Amino acid sequence: MMSRPHPGHRICKTHSVIVLFILILLFPFGCVSSETKSSSVISPTKPSPPQGKKTLPVFEFPVPQKTGEKNYLGVFGSGNFKVTQISTPVLIIEIFSMYCPHCQRSAPFVNDLFQSIQGRTDLKQRIKIIGIGIGNSPYEVDLFKNKYGILFPLFPDQDGTISKMLGVSSTPTFIGAKINRDGTTEQFYFTSGELTDAANFLSEILNLSGLKQEDKQ
Amino acid sequence: MSRGKYVLSLGLFSLLMVFLETGNVYAQSSSFKDNIYSVGKLKPRDSVLTLKAGDSAPDFTLPVVDGATITLSQFRGKKNVVISFVPAAWTPVCSDQWPGYNLVQGLFLKNDAILLGITVDNIPTLYSWTKQMCNTGEKLWFPVLSDFYPHGEVASKYGVLRSNGVSERALFVIDKKGAIRYIDVHDINQRPPLDALRTALEKLNQ
Repeated sequence: MMSRPHPGHRICKTHSVIVLFILILLFPFGCVSSETKSSSVISPTKPSPPQGKKTLPVFEFPVPQKTGEKNYLGVFGSGNFKVTQISTPVLIIEIFSMYCPHCQRSAPFVNDLFQSIQGRTDLKQRIKIIGIGIGNSPYEVDLFKNKYGILFPLFPDQDGTISKMLGVSSTPTFIGAKINRDGTTEQFYFTSGELTDAANFLSEILNLSGLKQEDKQ
Repeated sequence: MSRGKYVLSLGLFSLLMVFLETGNVYAQSSSFKDNIYSVGKLKPRDSVLTLKAGDSAPDFTLPVVDGATITLSQFRGKKNVVISFVPAAWTPVCSDQWPGYNLVQGLFLKNDAILLGITVDNIPTLYSWTKQMCNTGEKLWFPVLSDFYPHGEVASKYGVLRSNGVSERALFVIDKKGAIRYIDVHDINQRPPLDALRTALEKLNQ
């Protein structure tokens, strides 16, 4: 013979089911919002891959012909240079395409970012920016550079090899990496989507790269 | 408050927070990329070109997104014409091609040329799609024409209609006399580099 459940036990069970239902509802949304909030200054098109201790792959570009760009990057001579030879502890890489509307819309904000960094004596030698034009010819990269008056060096990646090494599948993508004196690297930032706020982006870079903590010490 | 009512209130409050949070997440999203339909890798070319450089460009009249119509022969003696056929709205390579052309109006002006963009999509689709290519309140500098009905008639005349009803990714450069001077029926999976089009335009003036 089965015993009849106590009324109080039944109410408690009902409440447990409600709480469980709400927790199930909350779980996925919590995950989504934590991903998007991790980069409040980028309108994300794709969530960031796991951060972890990821190094920057080794890739090369031709040494720029313009003296200003050579001086900015700290690379000289002719031929190719490795990205780890860029004279800076923190490197921001923008993967863009001349054909991408998001990259076009982001261009003025990326210019703001560059000028903000160059305008600060404590940062101009510690953060450098380069752009890599995925699937763009040198002519197309130049068109983009001239159209938006971009002052930092841009390099074509016509066959997409470098962008593939970096794991980029959509544009624009912003990557932040630390370049240590011994030539080792650590990628600390990777987000795809339109840049809409240069000041907050810089603040994120300062926090995540550790430059802000260095300054406090 | 009894324990039951407390749990129920907590539950309702949490549910409300879920909906508020969801709203924020969607408001942050910049959606162009997420709206692109992936077509996968396609057969590079699926049509037989019947025209060649030197042939007279077949005339046509098509409706434009802004409500007007354009006839090719209206440019005869006045402008060189570049026709850019792209396969379909809201697909990967096409969605990147015209935003690039939107940056280079100067290249066309310099060579006394007009660009006509053509797809087999209907006008409302083309309206929404091309709007996503520009900043709010702006539009593409060149007209976008719909070859929707009779379906693909112009693409067919130019020999670039594929067997599934979309056009090839093709460029035709037509001089002021109405003669075709350059044809590039490109691999549908790839964007034609702008360099080749620039060279073709510059040759018009030689």
